Amino acid sequence: MNITINGLEIVAQEGITILEAAKRAEIHIPTLCHLNGRTSDIPCELCVVEVEGLAAPVRSCVTPISEGMRISTASKTLEAMRKERLAVLMETHFGDCKAPCNLTCPGQINVQGYIAHVAKGQYEEALRLVMERNPFPFSVGRVCPRFCETRCRRILIDEPVSINHLKRFVADWCMAHKIDLRIPRDPATGKRIAVIGGGPSGLTGAYYLARQGHDVTVFEAAPKLGGMLRYGIPAYKIPHEVLDYEISAILRMGISVRLNQRWGEDFTLQSLKAQGYEAILIATGTPVDESLDIPGCALPKVIPATKFLREMSEGRQGNYGRSAVVFGGNNIAMEVARSLLRQGVGEVTIIYPRAQTEMPANQRSIRAAEKEGVQFLLMAQPVSFVDTENGIHVGLIRTKLGEPDEKGIRYPEAIPGSTVNIKVDTVIVAQGLSACKERFAGGELEATLELTPKCNIKANPRTSLTNHPGIYAAGDATSGPRSVIQAVVAARRAAENIHAQVMGGSRTAGENRFNFSRGKGFDDVDLRNFEGINVKLREKMPTRPPQIAIQDFGEVKLGFSEQMARTEAKRCLSCGCRAYDRCDFKELAQEFGLDPNKTGMGSKPVYPVQLDHPTIQVDLNKCIYCKRCLNSCNYNALELTAESVDGKGRPTGLRFRFKENCVSCGECVDNCSTGALNKKDALVPVVNEELRAVRTTCPYCGAGCQMVLKVKGNTIMEVTSDPSLAPNYGALCVKGRFAFNFVQHKDRLTKPLIRRGGQLVEASWEDALNTVAKRFFDLKSMYGPDSIAGFSCARASNEENFLMQKFMRTAIGTNNIDHCARL
Amino acid sequence: MASLALTFGSGAMTNSIADTKKTDLFFMVGSNPDTSHPTIGMRIHQAIDRGAKLIVVDPRRTRLAERADLWLRILPGTDVAFLNGMMHVILEENLWDRKFVEERTEDFAELQNLVKKYTPDQVERITGIPEDQLRQAARMYAAEGRNAIFWGMGITHYVTGTDRVKSLANLSMLCGKVGMEGGGCNPLRGQNNVQGACDMGALPNVFPGYQRVDNADARTKFEKAWGVKKLPDKPGLMIPQMIEGLTNGTVKLFYIFGENLANTEPDIRHVEHCLESAEFVVCHDIFQTETTRFAHVIFPAAAWSENDGTFTSSERRISRVRTASLPPGEAKPNWWIFKEIAKRMGHEWSAKSAREIWDNEISQLAPSMAGVKYARLRGDGLQWPAPNEEHPGTATLHRDRFTSGLGALTPVDWIPPAEVPDEDYPLVLSTGRRLYHYHTRTQTGRSAGLNDLLGEETADISPSDAKALSIGHGEMIGVKSRRGQVFVKANITDRIPQGVVWMAFHFREACANWLTNPAFDPITLTAEYKACAVRIEKVGEKTDQRI
Repeated sequence: MNITINGLEIVAQEGITILEAAKRAEIHIPTLCHLNGRTSDIPCELCVVEVEGLAAPVRSCVTPISEGMRISTASKTLEAMRKERLAVLMETHFGDCKAPCNLTCPGQINVQGYIAHVAKGQYEEALRLVMERNPFPFSVGRVCPRFCETRCRRILIDEPVSINHLKRFVADWCMAHKIDLRIPRDPATGKRIAVIGGGPSGLTGAYYLARQGHDVTVFEAAPKLGGMLRYGIPAYKIPHEVLDYEISAILRMGISVRLNQRWGEDFTLQSLKAQGYEAILIATGTPVDESLDIPGCALPKVIPATKFLREMSEGRQGNYGRSAVVFGGNNIAMEVARSLLRQGVGEVTIIYPRAQTEMPANQRSIRAAEKEGVQFLLMAQPVSFVDTENGIHVGLIRTKLGEPDEKGIRYPEAIPGSTVNIKVDTVIVAQGLSACKERFAGGELEATLELTPKCNIKANPRTSLTNHPGIYAAGDATSGPRSVIQAVVAARRAAENIHAQVMGGSRTAGENRFNFSRGKGFDDVDLRNFEGINVKLREKMPTRPPQIAIQDFGEVKLGFSEQMARTEAKRCLSCGCRAYDRCDFKELAQEFGLDPNKTGMGSKPVYPVQLDHPTIQVDLNKCIYCKRCLNSCNYNALELTAESVDGKGRPTGLRFRFKENCVSCGECVDNCSTGALNKKDALVPVVNEELRAVRTTCPYCGAGCQMVLKVKGNTIMEVTSDPSLAPNYGALCVKGRFAFNFVQHKDRLTKPLIRRGGQLVEASWEDALNTVAKRFFDLKSMYGPDSIAGFSCARASNEENFLMQKFMRTAIGTNNIDHCARL
Repeated sequence: MASLALTFGSGAMTNSIADTKKTDLFFMVGSNPDTSHPTIGMRIHQAIDRGAKLIVVDPRRTRLAERADLWLRILPGTDVAFLNGMMHVILEENLWDRKFVEERTEDFAELQNLVKKYTPDQVERITGIPEDQLRQAARMYAAEGRNAIFWGMGITHYVTGTDRVKSLANLSMLCGKVGMEGGGCNPLRGQNNVQGACDMGALPNVFPGYQRVDNADARTKFEKAWGVKKLPDKPGLMIPQMIEGLTNGTVKLFYIFGENLANTEPDIRHVEHCLESAEFVVCHDIFQTETTRFAHVIFPAAAWSENDGTFTSSERRISRVRTASLPPGEAKPNWWIFKEIAKRMGHEWSAKSAREIWDNEISQLAPSMAGVKYARLRGDGLQWPAPNEEHPGTATLHRDRFTSGLGALTPVDWIPPAEVPDEDYPLVLSTGRRLYHYHTRTQTGRSAGLNDLLGEETADISPSDAKALSIGHGEMIGVKSRRGQVFVKANITDRIPQGVVWMAFHFREACANWLTNPAFDPITLTAEYKACAVRIEKVGEKTDQRI
């Protein structure tokens, strides 16, 4: 039968519907409710098409084709109709696509995902997930300001999940267990890229560029890599051995490093270009201290903060006397003060011209400094330093906040006549940092590199490009001092841009902002969301007591135990939708450019989440009543009813039940058009991570069902099926879909075992293989080959069974080979 | 499968799962695919929905039995008598396919002679199946149409397992139901690759591709291929003989590849005693099991999803298994382990991957798989025989001729199970699998959710037996045989006939194999898992006696 779809002439089988004909011709017609030739009795109506000669559009899923039919699947009218239908469904759809923690993380890390991995004991996979977007899990896990935790919905019940401690836990666990993540590197591109600066942003850029197959060289001025992580953050926060391990893991991606290379002295931008680097990433951070422009500021005992911290990092013991003051309210000031305590300085005072709450430092750092005995003198600023025999006389003046300027900012002003003098042994200035003094030195390119008023590099925030083509900048060097995670994010973005440039493609699309939300702010979240959830306070981070901790530079926070991490991870409310990667509803809403913020969405839960089924959970708040679950069930084992349907075709009073004859095969979950049905065990939402689909054969009964494993990293996330594959054509049983976790069970044998003194003990492969070969040989010579019997395995592959019998028949010389065929 | 090989010349399911769409009548004997082969069970249900007829022969009222046009609640262990009775009726009423029998089979006279004595009233006495039901079953099966026989372990798990399969083959040939789409003789295999393990020659009497070890030509072929001077010419020991060999000292060393025989073989206590007597036990496994407790060396192996390879399903379909993840720690693929030990014993094997093993060795050596190459397995796999690379594979066996030429009609007499109920042990214990677990739970017991679906074993008993001993539903009872005793919760269900106890072997403590009888089929040495004599006791009473 000849028909035309969108002007394309098609020969189609008689009797099929327009939808089916289009599908066979690989023409996309949107639909939500159609499945295996069946649709809902309240149809989604998205599959409408226009047929020439008919007054109104028709549903393609129920309209058979006829000879000469001319069909159009897209038009303004159709689009409007589809949009209207989708918008109506969106109005009442209730849930979170992404969890607030995921949305808040500057690194857009799948936070809920790695927490869920921890809850399941999959620490290696948790770390791999973090490494997708952050190659510094050890450092960030120790110093992150934790934007994510401020948005954790658990706050509405008790306390936020200790997300960052979990990140640190997985990193530390993998280090302790010598886990090699074996993250694959893309094939080599032959493109050479230079990165200036071996700190968090430089190494992040290098890591992601190397992972994409580029030939990356990092130029670092210092004798060691790490930048501020090594020279700015003291060892009691990030121990050097941890940092060394972290950096070595990054370098394993295949990155060349050149140490002690000073930009402007040992090389210039021009010289790098001349050496054939196709792109340059400047990630030099902010090595230049702003100085105080007051008398005495150049005295040797008035030390810039970065210089002091570098000396700490190098393990140099200075004589800082018994009292010290630190000027500044930033994080660096806090670390300087705490380091001074550890140098035996009894009295350490931070002086700042505003209130404590206005300090730019993280409140957590301020509290830590306070706990250790750092004192604060607020609303004061220095006016002069005078060196005397018994110390430095510091002239201070009290401040008050002046009138707001046009932007509403109130700057501190000196109160005339309020000068006081104090005497200290050491002064450290932690005022502020910038990328360079006035401009960069080295050559023409450096001299013309455009800077911001604060002497940082001006780079396009979207493309990371400087004013010179092929030269990019990221991290603190462009932004001024920020958190490590922000440097990481900036560098990752720069790496994406550089990759796009050198490969001649366009940058991958930015993060999608489409999101259903159960409430953006805490006030918008209905408390009925948390019915039945009990208060359970977060695990307390084991910490050395301050009076002990300040005696050395040993790490203060000791990290979660495995038990604590598991307990903490289980506190996660799993806000984000676990069907994120398979939601057809979201997909179609996006295809038609709809935004839940404009269409409206559900604001409170109407139905409690049903958890009574052993392997499947049901959240009817997400149900759009497409009935694909019913239509997919091969056993007629589901019941889904609505009390009534409103004027717009939306159900109210939904009721869903698994009937007695349900065999828990999970087919309904795989066919759900939203996240209304979920496998209980599929805890980890897949947000942007690459999933591999591995087709394989079920390892259970003899039916030989074909299945598709969804694999992330080294973990099977889920088992699904493909309706086009013989012999099962999409059907699987409960074991097929749900019994695969054993692969990663902690009981797995990981080392050869040999019985010694009655006990099975771990041994090397060499030992184990030699022992066995020798016993085979000895017993064969002593008693003949027929004294040896081999049991092969009906669970193992053909190839393995073949080798087993070949081994018995050739190496041993017996036909004593059998298997459990009879079971 | 041995008997199918004897009668048809090919030991495998004759037809395909997809045939269920075409089948007019399903004759299900001793198979409960709803739990053992769920996706196949589902297809049969769907076939019934569309109007296919169904005969179920099972002591238990299974879900398929409930839907059957005819459900024959047979006494355990009497199938051969029943099948002979069917053939008796078919001959008596002249329902048989004369043309098929004359053209394609041999030894009809002997069969005819034997089934003569299985008169319906005689059969009723043995099997408990009333004459009218027997006649009805015979007429339905022999009627025109695509009528398929399906069976499972309910047929083979008896000392007479071989006889049963022969009888089924006889029946299908007598009615001319072999070699047609939608018909055939279809044993459902219990394990993912039990077909493949047989095909690969992991059997004591045949090389890969069912080439007999006592055939000199076959030996010469394999000696040449494997570069050895002399391959052993006597068939080796079967598993029960191997186990027995440990106690009588003829077997010293056990090489156990991924099997948990300490739980799966009948009479666990005896098996464990034998394993203790071994001089040396080597295991490959992914977990410590009840069996690895006896090991002297355990090799940590890669699991199913951590290695490439192929499985061959019940319907002879060779499908790819692909690597999804890497093995944990130092665990290694089994093929590597075999290769390394062989090397240390002076045998250098060149294959470096599953693909090389298949393409360069297996398909070169097994004629029925000569046409199967990895490159051809990308899609839906291939059903052997596929003798050359152009061959599309074979969905239906024996279409025009049997692999062996003429199909052998082999008369077999009924003999009762090795152990029958008596005064001390008045009930029959029958065993099998449940839907939610698999074998000894080394895998399913470690998968989230499945233990929630089924957390413990039960002994399924009939309401009347429960009433006689005043046992309540869910009450802990003792089940005792001559070999052992287990304590387990009673599950009172009218799915079970009076006089029968039904259990599975998924849970160690309440494993049915503490009780089962190590009596074996004389040809395949398959154990009689499906019938042994037991008694049940209230635990309460027993405790009272102790006090």
